[in-house]
Amino acid sequence: MAPRIAWRVATVRAVVEETAHARSLVFEVPYWPGHRAGQHVDVRLTAEDGYQAERSYSIASAPEDPDVVLTVERIDDGEVSPYLTEEVRAGDQLELRGPIGGHFTWRADQGGPLLLVGGGSGLVPLMAMLRHHAAQGSDADARLLLSAGRAEDVLYRDELGRLEGAAVHITLTRGAPPGWTGWTRRVDAEMLRAVGPAPSAGARAFVCGPTPFVEAVADHLLALGHPPAAIHTERFGPTGG
Amino acid sequence: MPLISRGFGGRRRRDVDPARVPPGQYVVDDFPVLSAGPTPRASIADWSLTIEGAVDAPRTWSWDDLQALPQETFTTDIHCVTKWSKLDTTWTGVSLDVLLGEVSTEAAYLTAWCDGDYTTNLALEDVTDGRAWIAHTFEGAPLDPEHGGPARLLVPHLYLWKSAKWVRRLTLTEDDEPGFWESVGYHNHGDPWREERYWGD
Amino acid sequence: MTDDDALCLDGNGLAGLLAEVFGGDPTGAQRSCPSCGLRSALGEHRAYCGAGVALRCPGCGALALRIGIAGERRVVAMTGVLVVDVAPG
Repeated sequence: MAPRIAWRVATVRAVVEETAHARSLVFEVPYWPGHRAGQHVDVRLTAEDGYQAERSYSIASAPEDPDVVLTVERIDDGEVSPYLTEEVRAGDQLELRGPIGGHFTWRADQGGPLLLVGGGSGLVPLMAMLRHHAAQGSDADARLLLSAGRAEDVLYRDELGRLEGAAVHITLTRGAPPGWTGWTRRVDAEMLRAVGPAPSAGARAFVCGPTPFVEAVADHLLALGHPPAAIHTERFGPTGG
Repeated sequence: MPLISRGFGGRRRRDVDPARVPPGQYVVDDFPVLSAGPTPRASIADWSLTIEGAVDAPRTWSWDDLQALPQETFTTDIHCVTKWSKLDTTWTGVSLDVLLGEVSTEAAYLTAWCDGDYTTNLALEDVTDGRAWIAHTFEGAPLDPEHGGPARLLVPHLYLWKSAKWVRRLTLTEDDEPGFWESVGYHNHGDPWREERYWGD
Repeated sequence: MTDDDALCLDGNGLAGLLAEVFGGDPTGAQRSCPSCGLRSALGEHRAYCGAGVALRCPGCGALALRIGIAGERRVVAMTGVLVVDVAPG
């Protein structure tokens, strides 16, 4: 197990502008042991005077992808995210540790149904699961419910539109573009019931996003009758910055 | 030696008098919130502070009692073991000299007990002679619950984990009894100028 | 639910720190809480960052683990019973 908790040097191979506020960093990580969809890495930054900052980021890429991709959303007065979304460029090297996290993961051989509920950048680990689902050609029933502010904030928007084999539902809570026929309110029990599947289908649910979002959604899922053991949560605290 | 991240500077201030910054610390302008548990929400109506334990007679103050005591407003620097320091913070509170002056004791130590299950231990000599307060006002406004309101212990010459938030009882003890963080690796005394962060420092 | 979202992560977010202590990833390990009886994964425990880290039972908020982050050393105090399943092979 030791290699997983050692810091390794990763090289940025490319940066991808995802939205006006978010960017994906594509890393080459020598001797990367592979990961499961849903896991994350710790990133450590060291300034010239030795000052250090560490943050955790979910891996956006599927296990089938040889690169390790992280998607970082810029938090305005954050310390780390402005650096990662504005300063870092191809060729830079950062320290990574991982993959980390065995509890919030999905492997295609576990089957479905799969219910993924994400708030904002909580979509990132769920996207790794969807990419893995697609790469494996899984026929597991997979449904995504994404809550985002505005249409332009939706990460991987084009890719989500092209996903086959998974049902994608989006609710925009801060204003919808003209012609939008989808939801425009916060996730609630009625919305979750509409997305399904029914609790009797035995779905595995993964909920990720800011803490209040995760806790509200988990409460709704329990109230709808999903068993606690089927609900996996990962909270992004505001210390991600 | 960790890899230096090109172009990374972090968020700390660098235009400060180094004589005010203890070893290993960096200065911040915000006020980070750290805690061992959820923020308690105590009402002033139910609030009380008790000094008890190895004393002649325990003494309890209600919120009104506390406010009726001599108040001090002062400016000081605070230092957290997680390496941030905040300079020129202004507080209002009651000196522990005033509160301890109302009990008689031969004890040398105290344990602070707080809402939630937090505790910290201090030597009486570290909280007397103008070195500690029960503080209820920060920068002229009632102390925010996130930062320990209604009232917290404030002992600015030691690392900030000793300035117990949401303090409710000070139990005087004959022996020194390590508190919440002191029991899991943090230095029993905690002087930032000697960098007493962890056991063995 | 108190308004403590400024402080609360969960054991999953601290998996790197926990891996340092346990030598592997314990976020799936099940802990039985002596205060309320709830059995839950360490990854589901609510995490608070003070000087060190406090992990609390997601059911009742009782203190489950304290982890002192003391330089190169980690100091851990734990209550309750932890069950770790070691994968075969």
